[in-house]
Amino acid sequence: MRIGVMVCHCGNNIAATVDVEAVAAAAREFPDVVYATDHMYACSDPGQKTLEQTIRDLKLDGVVVASCSPRMHELTFRRAVERAGLNRYMFEMANIREHVAWISLDRKRNTQKATDLVRMAVEKLRVDRPLTAKSFDVQKRVLIVGGGVAGIQAALDCADGGLDVVLVERKSSIGGIMSKLDKTFPTVDCSVCVLGPKMVDAGQNPRITLHMLSEVEEVSGYVGNFEVKVRKHTTYVDWTKCTGCGACEEKCPSRKVPDAFNENVSLTTAIGIPFPQATPKRATINAEHCLRLTKGKCGVCEKICPTGAIDYDLKDEVVTEKVGAIIAATGLNLFDHRKCGEYGAGRYPDVVTSLAYERMLSASGPTAGHIKRPSDGAEPKTVVFIACVGSRDRSLGRPYCSNFCCMYTAKQAILTRDHIPDSKAYVFYMDIRANGKGYEEFVRRAQEEYGVEYVRGRVAQVYPKDGKLIVRGTDTLLGQQVEVPADLVVLAVGVEAAKGAPELAEKLRISYDAYGFFMESHPKLRPVETNTVGVFLAGACQGPKDIPASVAQASAAAGKVLALLSKDKLESDPQIAQVATNRCIGCGKCERTCPFGAIRMRELRDGSKRAEVVETVCQGCGICSVTCPVRAIQLQHFTDSQLLAEVNALCRIWDETTES
Amino acid sequence: MPDMGRDYRIIGFLCNWCSYGGADAAGVARFSQPTDLRIIRVPCSGRVDPMFVAKALLSGADGVLVSGCHPRDCHYSEGNLYARRRLEMLRRFLPILGVDEGRFEYIWVSASEGSRWRDMVTKFTDKIHALGPMPRMAEPVHTLCSLSGMLGQSLAQPDMALPDWDNKPDQTVHSRAVLTQADIAGLSAPETAKEDGNG
Amino acid sequence: MAETDRSENERVARLRATVVRELPNVDFVLGYARGFDPLHATPITVRNEQDAERLIFDATCVENLATSLYGLRGKRMGLVVKGCDSRSVVQLLQEKLVDRENLVIFGLPCDGVLDLAKVRVRTDIAEVRGAEFTGEEVRLLLPDGEKVLPRRDVLADKCLRCRYPNPVVYNHMIGAERTPQGEEDAYADLESFEKLSAQERFDFWKRQMSRCIRCYACRNACPLCVCKHVCLADSRDPHWLSAEANLQEKWLFQVMHALHLAGRCTECGECQRSCPMGIPILLLKRKMNRELKEIFNYEAGVDPEAVPPLHTFQMEEDKIKDRGQLW
Repeated sequence: MRIGVMVCHCGNNIAATVDVEAVAAAAREFPDVVYATDHMYACSDPGQKTLEQTIRDLKLDGVVVASCSPRMHELTFRRAVERAGLNRYMFEMANIREHVAWISLDRKRNTQKATDLVRMAVEKLRVDRPLTAKSFDVQKRVLIVGGGVAGIQAALDCADGGLDVVLVERKSSIGGIMSKLDKTFPTVDCSVCVLGPKMVDAGQNPRITLHMLSEVEEVSGYVGNFEVKVRKHTTYVDWTKCTGCGACEEKCPSRKVPDAFNENVSLTTAIGIPFPQATPKRATINAEHCLRLTKGKCGVCEKICPTGAIDYDLKDEVVTEKVGAIIAATGLNLFDHRKCGEYGAGRYPDVVTSLAYERMLSASGPTAGHIKRPSDGAEPKTVVFIACVGSRDRSLGRPYCSNFCCMYTAKQAILTRDHIPDSKAYVFYMDIRANGKGYEEFVRRAQEEYGVEYVRGRVAQVYPKDGKLIVRGTDTLLGQQVEVPADLVVLAVGVEAAKGAPELAEKLRISYDAYGFFMESHPKLRPVETNTVGVFLAGACQGPKDIPASVAQASAAAGKVLALLSKDKLESDPQIAQVATNRCIGCGKCERTCPFGAIRMRELRDGSKRAEVVETVCQGCGICSVTCPVRAIQLQHFTDSQLLAEVNALCRIWDETTES
Repeated sequence: MPDMGRDYRIIGFLCNWCSYGGADAAGVARFSQPTDLRIIRVPCSGRVDPMFVAKALLSGADGVLVSGCHPRDCHYSEGNLYARRRLEMLRRFLPILGVDEGRFEYIWVSASEGSRWRDMVTKFTDKIHALGPMPRMAEPVHTLCSLSGMLGQSLAQPDMALPDWDNKPDQTVHSRAVLTQADIAGLSAPETAKEDGNG
Repeated sequence: MAETDRSENERVARLRATVVRELPNVDFVLGYARGFDPLHATPITVRNEQDAERLIFDATCVENLATSLYGLRGKRMGLVVKGCDSRSVVQLLQEKLVDRENLVIFGLPCDGVLDLAKVRVRTDIAEVRGAEFTGEEVRLLLPDGEKVLPRRDVLADKCLRCRYPNPVVYNHMIGAERTPQGEEDAYADLESFEKLSAQERFDFWKRQMSRCIRCYACRNACPLCVCKHVCLADSRDPHWLSAEANLQEKWLFQVMHALHLAGRCTECGECQRSCPMGIPILLLKRKMNRELKEIFNYEAGVDPEAVPPLHTFQMEEDKIKDRGQLW
C-alpha cells in the first residue's frame, strides 16, 4: 500500500503549538507511508490541489490528513481524494487541532500526541477498504401524519411541488386546534377565515388523499420506500354517498352528547358534522352515544338520509400506503387543567380552560360569540386569566414554557374587553414572553389601550364566595396579597405532546424527549429532520409552537421532502453493517438489538438461518457488531479490525516508549 | 502525582455525534486540558466493544475513557442505552482481573458541553496519574516448567493434580474455585522464576 | 461396576426403560456409560436396547452433555441431564440455538458429582477397583481394603452450592426430586479473592494465565460456546488475538470468554474442569454472574422466555448510577 500524509499548519492554529514538520518527518517512518509533507492550509484550494496532484503523481492508494476535526472537513477531503481517483473511504483524518493544538501549549507533548494520532490514522487506513454507495428507486409520495395547520401547509406545499400526498388525520375533519380558535394574535383576525381556504384547498387538491378518523398502525421500510399501514376507523357513514347536508344531525334523537369540538362546553348529537367549515364535510356517527349502535334501536338517520349513506355495519379498514417520506405533524394536546386543584378546575364550572373560552368567543361557537358563565349563563363582568397553568412548573413535571400562552391570554383579554365593554380583565402572570414580531406591541396594547390589569404573581387559590370566585394571589411587584372577586376564571393551559406521540415515535423509529415531543436531528442546524432519514417534523409535535412557527416549519419540512424526492434514485451510505455469512451462526441477537429493524433473518436451503442487513434501513450505529457473539456482523469503516488497528497502533507506540 | 516525563497512556472512545463534538467544542473554546488522552472516533457508544477496553488495558493502557451521548439523546436513539449496560458490566468486572476500577470510566458528554468535557478529561487524567502506570505484563517463565511438570503427571487426563508453580510443596486442590485463606496468603508471595528443569 | 444402593439401581432401570420407550421417536439418546475405571463415566450414544443397557447414572456422571447439543442441531435426539446441565439446555433454548421439539430430555435429580481432583489428593485413583456412592459417603474399593470418604469432601464445588439439583426442563423426570442443599450463593470465593489488592489480583492472574497453553479446552467444553467453529480466537478478520503465545493474548482470551458469557453462563464449571492446567477461570464467570444478579437480578438458564439483560435496556436504570455525576 502507498500512503501519503499531509500535516496541516492551519495558519498558526496548529503550527503554533505543534511542530508540524517533525510530525511529517515521523510519519515518513510509518509503515506503507511513501510520502509525508506539511502544508499551510490543507483545506484551501491550493492545499486540495496539492493533495490531488500528489495522489496522482505518486500513485497513492490512501491518504491521511492531520488537521482539524473530521466533523469540520472530512467531507471536503473525501471529495478531494475522490477527484484524484481514490475511493473516498481510503482517507483518514487525524484531529490535531481541536484535540491537540488548541488544548495545550506544551509543544513537545503536543508534537508527540499529534504523531501518535497520525500513526493511528495510518494504521487504520492500512486496513480500510474502498466502499461504494448503492442506489435505489424512490416512491414520489409523502405521508403526513396530522391534519392541523402544519399538516395542511406541508400537504399543500408538497402537492404544489408535484408530489402525491397522503394526509392521515385522527379526527373527522382536518383543521386541528387552529380551526377551534376564534381569532389569532397579534392581528386579531378570524382564525377560521384564514385557515378555511387552506382546508378547502387541501380537500379539493387531486394530489392530496385524506384519510380521516385514521391512525398510523405500522411503519416499515426505509427512506424512499416506506410502507405505512393506516387504520381507518369506521364512521358508519358511506362518505362516497354523504353530501354533508346535515339532515341526520337535525333528526338524531341522541342529543346529549358532549361536543368535543366545542371543548364539551355544549352538547351535540350522536351523528353529525363537527363544525360548519369541516373538511371533508361529511357526517360521522359517534358510536359511544348512537342509540342504534349502543341499544340496537333507533335507525332514524338511516331513514332520513336522502342518499342512503348510513351503514351501521361498516367496519374499520386498514390501507397500506407506499411513500418515500413521512412528515410527522401530530401537534399538541393541552394540559389537563384538572390537575391544578388549587384553581378549582373541574370543580367550579366557572373555571374554564382557555380553549373552552375561545369557543365561547367564537361566533360559530356554542354561545354564538356571547360570553356566558357556564354556571348560570350570565355575562361575566370580571374575568381573571391565570397564566402558566401546567407550564414552567416543575412540581407538575412541566418545567418548560409553552411558548404561546402569554400571547393568547393577551388576545383573549382584549377580546373580553371588546365583547363586554364594561368588563374588567385581570391577568396573573409569572413573566410575559412576547418575543415574536409584533407580540410585545400587542401585549402593550392589551395593557394600555384595553386597560387589562396585569398582576405579576402566582395565584394561590380560587374559591367560591357569594356567587363569585375569589382569586387569591400575590402581587410580587407590590409585594402584597391580592384578592380579585371574579365572575369567570380562564386558565391559560400549557402544551403537552399529543396523546400517543411516543407510540407513533416508536413506529417511526424517531426519538422523543421526556415529555413526548419528537426530537429533531440537531437543535440548530437540522431542526426539521429526525435521526431517521426520510422522516421529518412539522409543528408543535417537536415542541410548543404558535401558528406562524408551525406553518414555517411545515413549509420547511415540505421543502426538505421535495428536495429528497426530487431525485429518481437515492444513494445509501456504505458505512453500514455487513454480515460475514460464513461466520454468522444465525442466533438472531443482532436482529433483537437493532434499533432500526434493519436486520432480518434469512433461511438457507438447509434450514439454518443467517442475518441479513437491509442496507437502506441500516443507520450505521454498530450496536449489532458488539451484540454478535462471533462479531460476524461488522460496521463498515468501523470494523473490529479497523478499530483494533488504532488500539494496537497505540499499544505498539507504548511498547516502543517503554523499551526506549 | 507521579510524572513520568511523558504522557500517561489513556485511550478515549468517543461517539461521533455527541462526545467527539464536545471534545471539539472544548478545543474550539481553547480549554486547556491534559495531553495524555488519545481519542478514537466511533459512530456510537453502542459500537464500543467492551473487549476494546479490555484489550487496551491488558496491552499497556493506563486508562480508558468511553464517552457517548446522554441517555435519551443518542443519535441512534438506543445505542448508549445498550452501551450503558455493557460498560457497567465491564466496569464491575475489571477489578477481578486486578485492574483498578478507576482505570476505566464511561460518561455522557453532549456536543455542546465543551467545558464539561474539559472537566471530565482533567479529572480522569488526574485519577490515572494518581493510580500510576498500569502494572506491566512481562511474561513470566512458568509456561514450559509447568508444562513439563504437567506431562510428568498426566496419567489420568483431565483430572490430574496440578503441578506446583510457586516452588511450594503442594497438597492443595487447584481445580476448585473456592480459594482458602492459605491460598490467598500464598498469592501475594513474590514471584520466583523457576529456571530449573525447563526442558 | 460398583454397587449402588437399591433405589438408585431402580432409578437407572427406569432410565433405561424410559430411554428404550423413546428410542423410536429419536435418532439417538445421549447418556452416560461406565468409563475406563469405576470413577469415570463416559458419554454414550444410545441407538438400541443393547446400548441402553449400558446407561448409568451416579456421582461419576460429571460431563455436561448439553455441550453437544448445538453441534447436533437438526437431529432428533434424547439427552440425559442433571439439574445443572438442564440450565444449559434452558439457556440454549432461550437463545433459540436448539429446537425444543427435536429434544427429548431425561431429567435426573442429582445428589452431586465427584471432583476427581479432590479424590486424587485423598487416594491414588489408579488403584481404585470399585466405588459405591451413598447419601453421605463414597466407598472406594482398594486392593488393600475399603476406603470411606465423606461425600461432601469429594463433591464438586458447584454441587456444594447447588440450588438446582432438579432439572428445570425435561420430558421425563426420573427419580424423586431433591431438596436443594445449597443456599443462596454467597460468592465466598469471590469475596475472599476481592480482599486482595489490585496488584495482588493482577499478579495472581498473571501467574495463572502464564500457564495457559491455549488449548481452548475451556471453550470446547463450554455448552454455550456455540460458535467455536468460527471462534474469534482463531479469526483473522476480525483479528482479535494473534497466534503469539504471549501473556496478553492468553489473558485476553479468558476475558473474551467471560464477556461473551455475560448473562449466559450457568456456572456448569466445565471450562475450569476441562482446563489441563487447572486455571481457576470459573472465578471470572462467577464474578460476572454476581454482578448481573446484583444489577439486573438476572440468572441465566432458568427461564427460557427471559430477555437477556444485555440485549435490552431501560431508559432509567434502577441500579446503574450516572458515572459522570460520581467524580
